[in-house]
Amino acid sequence: MTRTVRATTWMSLGLILGTSSGLAHHSFSAEFDINAPVRLEGRVSEMRWANPHAWIYLDVEDEAGNVVNWAIETRAANGLIRRGWRPGDLAVGTVLIVDAYQARNGTSTASLANATLADGRTLFEGSPEPDEPQ
Amino acid sequence: MLACYVCATAVGWILHMREQVLLSVKGRPPVRGTKQYGQRFSAAFCRLLTVRTVLVAAIASHLLVGIAAAQTLPRTQDGRPNLQGIWMAVNRAAYDLEDHAARHDMPAGLSVVDEGAIPYQSWAAEQRQVNFDNRATADPLGNCFLPGVPRVMALEHPFHILQTDGHVAITFEWQQVHRLVYIDTEPPRYAGVESWMGNSRGRWDGDVLVVEVTDQNDQTWLDAAGNFHSNAMHVTERYSLRDADTIDYEATIDDPEVFTTPWTLRLVLKRQTHLDRILEYQCQAEKSEANGDFERDVRTWYPAPIPAENAPFDADAGAQLSVPATPPDVPRLADGSPDISGYFMADAGGANYGLEAREREALMPPSRGQVVDPIDGTLPYQDWARAERIDRELPHRGYDDPTAHCFLAGVPRSHYVPAPFFVVQGEDHIVVLHERMSWRHIFLDDRDFLSDRIRLWQGHSVGRWDGDTLVVESRNFNGKAWLNELGDVVTHAQTVVETFTPVAQNQVIYRATVSDPIAYTRPWTIEMPFNRSDDELLEVACLEDNSDLQHLKDVRDEYRAGQGQGERS
Repeated sequence: MTRTVRATTWMSLGLILGTSSGLAHHSFSAEFDINAPVRLEGRVSEMRWANPHAWIYLDVEDEAGNVVNWAIETRAANGLIRRGWRPGDLAVGTVLIVDAYQARNGTSTASLANATLADGRTLFEGSPEPDEPQ
Repeated sequence: MLACYVCATAVGWILHMREQVLLSVKGRPPVRGTKQYGQRFSAAFCRLLTVRTVLVAAIASHLLVGIAAAQTLPRTQDGRPNLQGIWMAVNRAAYDLEDHAARHDMPAGLSVVDEGAIPYQSWAAEQRQVNFDNRATADPLGNCFLPGVPRVMALEHPFHILQTDGHVAITFEWQQVHRLVYIDTEPPRYAGVESWMGNSRGRWDGDVLVVEVTDQNDQTWLDAAGNFHSNAMHVTERYSLRDADTIDYEATIDDPEVFTTPWTLRLVLKRQTHLDRILEYQCQAEKSEANGDFERDVRTWYPAPIPAENAPFDADAGAQLSVPATPPDVPRLADGSPDISGYFMADAGGANYGLEAREREALMPPSRGQVVDPIDGTLPYQDWARAERIDRELPHRGYDDPTAHCFLAGVPRSHYVPAPFFVVQGEDHIVVLHERMSWRHIFLDDRDFLSDRIRLWQGHSVGRWDGDTLVVESRNFNGKAWLNELGDVVTHAQTVVETFTPVAQNQVIYRATVSDPIAYTRPWTIEMPFNRSDDELLEVACLEDNSDLQHLKDVRDEYRAGQGQGERS
């Protein structure tokens, strides 16, 4: 169930418009590569409720069967808290399908575009407007 | 209370007299009614009269002085002790709360803890020693992280208090930290959400400001000696104005995870009468600059000159924008000026991603464009500055954006970074607290600007009311800030004139006119609404959790290696 796929298909679904990454304190174009979209399926190992960005850590099994821990950058914790999320709401072990853009430095780091729970619901539903409190 | 004391003293005096007469006689006591008894009684009476009179007079005078002091304490219009002004602790508590001898990194000092020593549980005493031994690298303050409460109150950096009926804003020189104390009995809106500085709720207990600090995380220390706490810590602060220039401050620490019993520390805070504003100590920015991690840009940083090839700066070119109308029924203060206090969020339309209108591009969000003068919405760049702005869009320049390092956003960017801000409006000055930890002071007392050599991220701001519009002029910038992530350019030479005009109950139209002869050919103006709500500030502890900077540095370094480039000039 866990594997990493270089995905281009999800881009064509228009999900790129849902880019919900941090919109905060640094240039995403500088750090992440729009030409390196990844689709990751794995289990949450940790969520760090941090500012200016919260991070989801995801255990993902690669094609060789090794488990790689990906760091997925998402919006600022404050934006999530104002939407009613609280630390602890994303339990360890939660299965997620994540569409993201990999960091330009090639590490297992990516900027979240879209995350879907096993039941099909979208995590952190809705993308923030550019000026939403972060 | 004084009357009770006098009665008790009189009764005690009479009883004590008899006892003294008897005790003053060596050997067998004289028989009552004899001459000897009378002489000894007289002698004892005179002796006690003298001693008691002096004592009673001293105590009474002390009480009267205390009562007089309470009556003459400076007070606010609502009758509370006036804590406003610039303060600093006058002891060595910042180094070590307990008695300590001098070491190379800390001068000696006396304990500020009530019982002398902090009542650690045994495991915690061992942990404190580990912290102490590793303090050179383990002290969070050494990394410029947020200090927490009460440590922030003891730092050897001045801080400023602004006090209104509903709020007490405490702004610190150190790293532009701020605290917002809500004078409110309701629990914090975001109770349970941990942060470095916690949630502060205050109330007045007679003449004492009592502040309950909750929800602090376990990442901060209590001093530089490794004294620490857990995230179960509850701090109760008491601020007592002793006289016009002294606050007796105490903090009671209740943390059953770490200590055997609650304990109290006391600081004496003295008014810094030689200061009329606090300046900035951007710990992390200074450290990064000193380490070479944040490089000087000789074209924008103070004291960059106006380039010889620049087109002439036409300072008169600014269009005359009409001032929006303010309805008479907007909230107002007692003096009639609009009340623009509270929680605001800019409807900035993506100003943090470009001040000129642009579409979404790659991972950069769009901007609707905020430039209202020139009317074509284009920033009137000098050629070099336009070229620099375009260069800043390249991935290898992402590292150069000061906010990527968690440095201050400057003015006007602090208002649209995007993050909310909270305005606390005093009689002669206004304090703006930005959720992305920084503040601005706007002085309404017609004071002079600072010396040319004093350069600040947030500038020096002097304001005045022009009808119902607050007009603020800011200078003394350092030229290190960018205007947004796209890299719109501004330099130390900028003068910013902002207007805050209420146009509805909870909306202010904000304009900022930037005059910068180094980067532009003429002044220009941006505009956006600020919307007020009853939300509360959270905390953005940017530096403490900044995982992005290394990626941005990798991209920059890889580019430089490929280009064979050295330092950017």
